[in-house]
Amino acid sequence: MPKILVVDDAMFMRAMLKKLLTEAGFDIAGEAETGRVAVDLYQELKPDLVMMDITMPEMDGLTALKEIVKLDPAAKVVMCTALGQERSVMEAMNAGAKDYILKPFNAEKVVEVLKNASG
Amino acid sequence: MKAEFINPFVTAGLKVLESVISARPESGQLAVRSAAFTTQQVSIVIGVTGAVEGQAIYGMSLVTATKIAAAMSSMPAMAFDEMASSAIGELGNMISGHATTLLSEAGYECQITPPTLVRGTEVEIATSTPALVIPLYTDFGKMEINVALMETGEKTATSPPRDTEKQEASDA
Repeated sequence: MPKILVVDDAMFMRAMLKKLLTEAGFDIAGEAETGRVAVDLYQELKPDLVMMDITMPEMDGLTALKEIVKLDPAAKVVMCTALGQERSVMEAMNAGAKDYILKPFNAEKVVEVLKNASG
Repeated sequence: MKAEFINPFVTAGLKVLESVISARPESGQLAVRSAAFTTQQVSIVIGVTGAVEGQAIYGMSLVTATKIAAAMSSMPAMAFDEMASSAIGELGNMISGHATTLLSEAGYECQITPPTLVRGTEVEIATSTPALVIPLYTDFGKMEINVALMETGEKTATSPPRDTEKQEASDA
C-alpha cells in the first residue's frame, strides 16, 4: 500500500488520520506539524502520498506544497483543510495538488480520495 | 461591529457541532459586550484577517470541552489532556473556516489564523470593537461564541455559495 506523509499542526488530526489510514491499509511514512518539517521529511522519506493541512504555523500548507512540487513535480499531494478554505484549496489545485478533503471529514471519502490520488 | 458578522459563526457553529457530536445544538439569545471576553473555563481564540479583522472566541466549560473532544475522538470518555486540547482547537478551526467562507460569500473575503487554546475564567482579549456573543446549547453543555470583528476594506461583490456539500459529512 502507498506510504503517506501526514501533515497537520493539530495533534488530534494527525492521530485521527493515522488511525483511519492505517485501518484502511495505508502505511504511514511519517508525520509533520509544520510545512517546513513536511518539506524536509518529503525529501528524507520519499512518501508516495502527502496529506497536507493548509493553515499551519511556521510554513503553511500552500507554501509547503509549492516547495515539494518544485523538488518533485510528480509529487502526489492531497490538501486537507477546514471547511471554508476553498479559496486556498483552489490555489493549491492550481499549484499541483492532486485533490482535497474538507474537515469535518468523512472517513470513507478520505480513503476514496487518497486511493484515487495514489493511482 | 455589524450584527451580520456573527451570523456566519452561528451557522457554522451549529453545522460543525451537529457534524462532530451527531446532535443538533440550539442557539440562544444574542448579547453585546464591550470587548471580547469569556467567563468559560476553556476558550479557543482564532484570529480573522482580511476584509474584516478581529477575533472569534469559543468558550465552554471543561466538562463540555472534554465531552466534545471525546465525541470527536469516537471515545466514550477521556481526560482533558493534550489530545483533547488539540481536538477542541480543531473544532474552533473548523467552525471559523466555515464561517469565513460564509463571510466571503457575503463579500467579506477573509482568512483565519491557527487556533490558540486558553484555559481560565475571566479572560479578556483586547479588541477595538465591541463583541457580539451568542450561546449554543448542546447535549454536552453550552458553547459560547464571541465575535469581535470590524471592516478593514472595501466589501467585494457577493459570490454564490460554493459547492462544498460533496465532502461535508457527519463523521469527523
